[in-house]
Amino acid sequence: MSEFDVIIVGAGPAGASAAIKLAGAGSSVLLVERGDPPGSKNVSGGVLWGDSLGSVAPDWEKAAPMERYVEAKGVSFLTKDSKISIDFRSKKLQERRSGYTVLRTKLDGWLSKKAKDAGAMVASGITVDKLAFKDDRVIGVEQDGDIITSDIVILAEGANPRVAINSGIRERLKDRDVAIGVKEIIKLPEKTINERFNLTSSKMGFASEYVLGFLEGGVKAGGFIYTNKESISLGLVISMKEMRQNNNTRSFDLIEQFKEHPYIAPLIDGGRVDEYSAHMVQEGGLKSVPQLYGNGFMVVGDGAGFSFSNGMVLQGMNYAIASGIAAAESAIKAKIKSNFTMEGLSSYEERLKSSFVLQDLMNFKGIEEVTWSDMIHRGIPNMSEELFLSLFSENGQPKAHMINLLIRAMGHSDVPRKDMVINMYRMLRRM
Amino acid sequence: MVLEIIVMIKQVPDSQEVVIDPVTFTLNRGAARNVINPADENAIEAALRIKDKTGAHITVITMGPPFAESALIDCMSRGVDDAVLVTDRAFAGADTYPTGLTLASTIKKLGKYDIIFAGEESTDSSTGHVGPGVAEFLGTDQASYTSESWYEDGFVYAKRELEEGTEIVKMKPPTLITVLTNANDPRRATLRKKIDAMKKGIKTMTLADLGMPPEWVGLRGSPTVVKSMRTIDEKKREGKKFKIEEIPKLVDELIEKKIISI
Repeated sequence: MSEFDVIIVGAGPAGASAAIKLAGAGSSVLLVERGDPPGSKNVSGGVLWGDSLGSVAPDWEKAAPMERYVEAKGVSFLTKDSKISIDFRSKKLQERRSGYTVLRTKLDGWLSKKAKDAGAMVASGITVDKLAFKDDRVIGVEQDGDIITSDIVILAEGANPRVAINSGIRERLKDRDVAIGVKEIIKLPEKTINERFNLTSSKMGFASEYVLGFLEGGVKAGGFIYTNKESISLGLVISMKEMRQNNNTRSFDLIEQFKEHPYIAPLIDGGRVDEYSAHMVQEGGLKSVPQLYGNGFMVVGDGAGFSFSNGMVLQGMNYAIASGIAAAESAIKAKIKSNFTMEGLSSYEERLKSSFVLQDLMNFKGIEEVTWSDMIHRGIPNMSEELFLSLFSENGQPKAHMINLLIRAMGHSDVPRKDMVINMYRMLRRM
Repeated sequence: MVLEIIVMIKQVPDSQEVVIDPVTFTLNRGAARNVINPADENAIEAALRIKDKTGAHITVITMGPPFAESALIDCMSRGVDDAVLVTDRAFAGADTYPTGLTLASTIKKLGKYDIIFAGEESTDSSTGHVGPGVAEFLGTDQASYTSESWYEDGFVYAKRELEEGTEIVKMKPPTLITVLTNANDPRRATLRKKIDAMKKGIKTMTLADLGMPPEWVGLRGSPTVVKSMRTIDEKKREGKKFKIEEIPKLVDELIEKKIISI
C-alpha cells in the first residue's frame, strides 16, 4: 500500500495543475517543490497563452493573479540603428483569445494554494533527489535517504530535469536541447507603461518578440518585452550552441545591449530593475522530447520538452498546464483500473497526441533550424532596413521599382541572395 | 528521563527584501517574504545536536500571527518534535518586556523544561532582550552569545564568545542559552519529516490558555515609548559606465579624481 496515490515533483503550472485536478478527483496527492514559497524559484518570459487553466480553475480569469490582457502583439527586427516591426492591435484578439502577462511568483503561489485547498499536501522548500524503483517500476521518490511511496510519480520539474537524469530515465541535456533565458523585471508606474506602449487602460497589455540582429559579434538571440501592471518583463533567449560558439559572450552583457538599443532604451527609461533571473529554456522541439511515461511515472511540462517558439510567439506555460492535466486524467483512469504500469498509463501519450501539445511540436518539427538561422537574424533585418530606407527616404533621385529595391536590399545582408530565397521558402513551409 | 528542550523562534521579514517606505519612512514589511530569524535557525540546530546525542524531546514555540505556522512546520521538518504557536490579538504591539513574559508563561504552562534555546537577537529589532528576559522571568541560569553547547552527566555546557576570548560555562538545568548567528550550519528539512510535520500539525495557545491578565501583554503591557524616528538619507553616488575596452580611461579618471594612485 503506497503512502500517496500520486507524488508530483515540481509546483510550476504543470505540476500544480495536475495536483489540482487529481486532488479534486479525490486522489491523495503530495506536491513537492524546491522553492519556498512555491513560485519563488520559477522563471518564464511571462505570457500565459490560451485557456488551458479553464479545466482546473474555471474562474481563473477573474481569480488568478493576472497582470494584463495581451491586446497588442508585436514582432520586431532590430538592427543597430533601426527597428522594423509588426505591431498588431485588435479588439478581436480578446474574443479569439490571446494571453495574459503574468508574474510567476504570484501565479505559481496562487496555483499551489489552489492545490492545497483541493486537498493536496504541498511540501515546499524540499528538493527530491531521485525516483525510487522496485525492479523496473517507479514506487515513489527518494529524498535524503528516505523513500516516500506512491502509485504514480508525475515529474514536473521544469527545464532542468535533474530528477529524471539522476534516475536514468532520460539522457543528460545536449547543447541543442537548451537555450539560456535571462530576464529582468523593471518597475515603472502604471501610467508611464500605458503611455509608452500606447495602451488605453491598465488592463490592456503589450507583448512583443524581438530578433536581435545587432548584437556584438553577431551573436544570435531573441528578445522579448511584456508589460505587467506596474512593471515590464524584459529578457532574451540565447541558444547554448551560440553561447559556446561565441566564447566571449556573457548573457548579462547581451541584455545590456538590448536595453541600450536606441528604440528600446526610451521604453524602460527611469525604470528600476526589481528582479533579475536566468533560467534554462527548452529549445529542441520534437527531437528533445524524452520518454514521456513508463511503469509508474509520467513526465510533463518543460521537463518533457513541451515548449514552443516559432519566432513569432514564445509559449510554454499553456503546454505545461495542458500536459499536467492530461497526466492527471491518465492517473485517474489508471487508479480506476488499478494498473499503474506503462500500459496502464499509455493513455497519457494518446491525450497529448490528440491535443495541441504534441501536435504543435509535430507540425512545427525542425522550426528551430529556421528560428536560429542567419537569415532570420541578419538576412531579413538587414534587407528590410535597406528596403524601407529606400522606400521612406527622399533624396531627389528617380524612384526605383519595388522588385529592384528588394533585390538590391537583399545584397545588404551577408547572407547570399540564393540562400535567402531557399531559406524563406523553407521557413514558410515549416511554419 | 527524557531531556526537555524548548526553542523560542521568531518569524522576521527577509532582511534582503525589506524596503523603507519613502513616504512614511517605516519598514515596509509587507513586501518582504517571512523567514525564520537567522540566529533562531542556529538555535534550532543547537537543540537538534543535543537531541542527536541524548534523544531529547524538542518543542519549538513562537509568539506571532497565525501565518507563523509555516515557520513552525519548517522547524518540525528539520527534526523538532512539537510546535506551539502563541497567538492572540491581545499580544499585538508588544515590546520585548511583555514578549518575554508571555513566552515565559507559555513555557511554564508546557510543563517540564531543562534547556531553553533562543537566537542571540532578531534581525528586525536587534535588541537581544527576549532570551535573557525569559531567563529572568523564569529564574533560570543563562548563557548568552554561545557558539556551541552540549549536555553531559546532568550538566549543560555552553561556550560563550567574548571579546577577550571564549568562556565555557557549566550549568545545572533548567537553563537558557542564546545562540550566535552563524554559530553552526543548520540542517535542511527532509521530505519525510515535512510530511510527518504537516500530518501532526501545531498546537495553538491564546491569552485565555495562558491565564495572563490582558494588561500584562501586547501594547498595554509595553513600557517602551518610541518618541521619534529618523531615517538616514541614502547618499546619491555619481555613476558612470565604462566598456571593457575603456578600462585605461577609467583608470585615468580614477587617478585624476585621486581615488587611486600609482
